[in-house]
Amino acid sequence: MMERAFRAAFAEIRLHLLSVFSVAVAFVCLSATLLVAFNIDSVRARWAETGRASVYLAADVEPKTIQTVRKALLAAEGVTRVDFVSSEQARAEVMGGSEDEALAGLPEEAFPASLEVTLRDDAAAARVEKLASQLEALPAVEAVETYKAWGERLDRLLRGGAQAAVLLLLVVLAAVVSVVGSTMRMALSRRRAEVEVLKLVGATDGYVRGPFVIEGAAQGGLGALLALALMGVLFLIVRDSFDGTLGTLLGASPQFLPFVACVGLVVLGAAIGALSAYASLRRLIGSYVV
Amino acid sequence: MQDDSTGSTRGSAGTLDPDFGPADELEDVPTRAFRPALRGDQRFDRSAAHRDILVFDDVHKAYRADMPVLKGLTTSVARGEFLFITGPSGSGKSTLLRMIYAAERVDHGRILFLGRDVCKLSQSSIPYLRRNIGVVFQDFKLVPNWTVYRNVAVALEVLGVPERIVRRRVGEALERVGLSGRGRDPASALSGGEQQRVAIARAIVPEPALLLADEPTGNLDPLLAVDILGLFEDIHETGVTVLFATHDRSLLDIRPRRIVVLDEGRTSDVRAGLNDDDALVRMRVAS
Repeated sequence: MMERAFRAAFAEIRLHLLSVFSVAVAFVCLSATLLVAFNIDSVRARWAETGRASVYLAADVEPKTIQTVRKALLAAEGVTRVDFVSSEQARAEVMGGSEDEALAGLPEEAFPASLEVTLRDDAAAARVEKLASQLEALPAVEAVETYKAWGERLDRLLRGGAQAAVLLLLVVLAAVVSVVGSTMRMALSRRRAEVEVLKLVGATDGYVRGPFVIEGAAQGGLGALLALALMGVLFLIVRDSFDGTLGTLLGASPQFLPFVACVGLVVLGAAIGALSAYASLRRLIGSYVV
Repeated sequence: MQDDSTGSTRGSAGTLDPDFGPADELEDVPTRAFRPALRGDQRFDRSAAHRDILVFDDVHKAYRADMPVLKGLTTSVARGEFLFITGPSGSGKSTLLRMIYAAERVDHGRILFLGRDVCKLSQSSIPYLRRNIGVVFQDFKLVPNWTVYRNVAVALEVLGVPERIVRRRVGEALERVGLSGRGRDPASALSGGEQQRVAIARAIVPEPALLLADEPTGNLDPLLAVDILGLFEDIHETGVTVLFATHDRSLLDIRPRRIVVLDEGRTSDVRAGLNDDDALVRMRVAS
């Protein structure tokens, strides 16, 4: 049956390539959404799991006071590291290699000195808020940023992304069903003589339909694979620029979809393709008479 | 690739359901016997080998209520018989043949193929019926972009016959129809007569119990037509039952054979060919 399917597919290679490309376009939309959602989730997970807090110090704090706060923080439960970042260091970090005049012209208050606190992963979630409220009570501390609000924003973004992915999945489903179904009906029409002969010599409907279902599965699977390949190329092109700037700010590097997700997309494409071919030809083959 | 709905294959009478009886039960059955186990839940009936291969019992068929094609056809065809079916265009010759291999439904009556009423077969059983019937058409019904070999081999491939046996049997079939060594040629490159020979090879390669020919010489010149008729007679000599539908009177005159004449829904059975003058008179009177 595989041999019959491949023979038929190669005989109508243009029709099948067109179908694969159309399916790929649909899958590019889905995989792009999944890629964005996956990376947002990575950032959210990183921020949620790694307990971090930035303790912004008041402008006129003495170095001695800073040391006292630092020691107190290091003695606190769950805190693994405390780094002092001066106002100059903060400005340099934000500026990077940029020569942006607007950034350079910002006042010193825009870059307050801070203590960057790192907590143990298992202690992070519970401890960071408690620690923040204790620190905010100190006169030397101007504000404490726990990034909780950012985590919540990312959560909302992720929920939106998940909804978009579901909608796009439906679009992909409709596109694949439509494209593969039409291709199969066209292929069946072109191979009418073959189908009639098969039925004449006693082939069951399943035997006749088999190669078409395999072709549908191949179209869906290859379409998804092509979409992932396109996404991969696009990802490689934009990764470096993201890696340099956003990576530093977000604390996470952009990542491509995990292998399991890629395999899942290809399997999904193949399954939808096979089902579309099966459904579109089910009645049609039965109606063919010799 | 073997069709998974197919059971074991046998060289004599096509392929039947997987629940077919054990092989030792079949040993005393004549080689060309049809084993009419058309469904998985029914076993082989030995007595079928000794019955008429085809029985038409009060068969009625009409495409329009006021224009019946067949009005109560009742006749039978013995195993190994060569039968002509004739009549003018539109008299129902093709319809009659199509009803035998269940491409048309019977309005009323029964068609028994070795004791089984083909009108009552379920859709899923029809392929198993067709594996026991070879059909040849006026327009050959070949796949033009396939090779000669593939056009013939397809009849064995659906049965799940191993490739090695397919090659041997297709070679034999092509030799029988005089196309030895032409297996690699595309079907579309052949002449009309050669294409009809390929169609005949396809029909006989699974060694069916019954061979139906629906105007097989209709597209051929008279000399080729006689040639093709001779080929059917050769096949018939090996024990295959042949139903040959034609409106070509010259073919009927070549050799006296039993003829069923269809005309305006009525049927007449002429036992000794159209040279049987008494029968012809009876037929004219009847019509």
